[in-house]
Amino acid sequence: MKFYFTLQFKMLNRQLSDFGLLPIIGYLLSILVFTGLSYILFHATEFASYIYILIAIGLVSKLSETRRNDFLKSYFSKKRYLQLRLLENLIVGIPFILFLICRNQFLSAVTILVTSVLIAFIDINNKFSFTIPTPFFRYPFEFVVGFRNTFFIFIGIYFLTFMAITVGNFNLGFFSILAVFIICMTFYSNPEREYYVWIFSINPNMFLFRKVKTAIIFSTLLTFPILLSMSFFFPEKIWIMLIFQCIGYFYLSTIILAKYSDFPNKMNFTQVILFALGCVFPPFLLILIPMFYSQSVYSLNKILK
Amino acid sequence: MIKIIDLSKKYGTKQVLVNINLIFEQGKTYGIIGENGAGKTTLFKCIAGIEKYTGTIESNFEILKNQLGFLQTEPYFFSKITGLEYIQLLCNARSVSFKTIEQKNVFELPLNQYAITYSTGMKKKLALTAILLQNNDLFILDEPFNGVDIQSNILITEIIHKLKELGKTIIISSHIFSTLNDTCDEIHMIKNGAFVQHVFKEDFGKLEQEMKDFTIGNKIESLDLR
Repeated sequence: MKFYFTLQFKMLNRQLSDFGLLPIIGYLLSILVFTGLSYILFHATEFASYIYILIAIGLVSKLSETRRNDFLKSYFSKKRYLQLRLLENLIVGIPFILFLICRNQFLSAVTILVTSVLIAFIDINNKFSFTIPTPFFRYPFEFVVGFRNTFFIFIGIYFLTFMAITVGNFNLGFFSILAVFIICMTFYSNPEREYYVWIFSINPNMFLFRKVKTAIIFSTLLTFPILLSMSFFFPEKIWIMLIFQCIGYFYLSTIILAKYSDFPNKMNFTQVILFALGCVFPPFLLILIPMFYSQSVYSLNKILK
Repeated sequence: MIKIIDLSKKYGTKQVLVNINLIFEQGKTYGIIGENGAGKTTLFKCIAGIEKYTGTIESNFEILKNQLGFLQTEPYFFSKITGLEYIQLLCNARSVSFKTIEQKNVFELPLNQYAITYSTGMKKKLALTAILLQNNDLFILDEPFNGVDIQSNILITEIIHKLKELGKTIIISSHIFSTLNDTCDEIHMIKNGAFVQHVFKEDFGKLEQEMKDFTIGNKIESLDLR
């Protein structure tokens, strides 16, 4: 088991190195980013602990992937396997638990702790291996796969909208729209296999246009129930929501262009930093979008020529 | 027609393909044989344009890859995509539309299930169905018979015959000689990245015997089985 974790540690270090970071810098940055984002979340909404629990459980349950666990089961005894699953789940859950303890939110911390332990004993994907229906089947794959991987988060987001309307908190509903876009952006965080670009018989411009168009239509489908209900209950703030909806489209388009800018490689550290700068300072997107676009066309040309 | 002229490929300092010269004519089926690591898959990737190479590939298509259906040895599937969605993705990529799939699901695959849950053979049949629905003119089938049940092997053989009849060009690699015997017009043998033998249909039997003699030799006796 010690060897397994040493191997995981080595693999993580290699991933950080491939990303263009010294592992030690990567770990420090991860701690800073995690703490920073947690603070932002808890300052943004009074319902942060619910969102926090949802995110933590979502990440822990990612470790329940059937094929991965089948592999582990075949190599470790039942006892060792359970120990390993418990340890892994706790490693993922502990940063969230520690942050909640620091904020004296003990009940939420215990919820994550107990759930992380329980999940170790359940093969979630086996239990939920039915096909989750999506409205995106005509244009696979990003939203089809992404939605199925995060459907439980969408349940949470729509619940937040319901809460926002119930308690008359516009900011919370507004946060739901942002959350949908953040989740949709994660659908584009990793490059697909080269084959899935190669199959297209269109030029890079058309390819990118199709990807962006699909993302805009499908993200609109996901935000539509929130926009509609919020517009009904907060009609005076409809313009604010529409403006941020448009900004969301810009961010979504930027991440798609960034994804293909060094394709088939993953986005490198510089691209991530540039994208983060664009998030903090939106006018920067006006420079970033054309830059990522021309880089993407160059990268895709090699495959779609 | 596809004409490969002086194609070579290196991975770092390792030469994988050496001065390949080949012609694939329309309406013919070609078999490529060779030991594991001989360079078959690399050659296919070069023809598809997935790998860079030196040399030239000429064809009478404006963009060769846009008419090419490439069945990979081990097709990759996203974790939560159904068989039907996979077919839809590949058809969308070539702007091909289909109304119903039931009639075309000749391998009777459970298309509403996640493709990742399919067996090896089912995955191969799904990937083959998808490239067939793309209406390609050229097919590269990298080990299409591997892991597939006997009934489906018979069906794949008949599909290849039909494609040939329709004037399509098919390039197949297989480690099962009988499947090539049933489907190919010519067989090319690749060894250490270079083509060493070229055999027409009438000499397939002779080639198989030569391969048996060369491969088996006295290895069985060496095992000293008791």
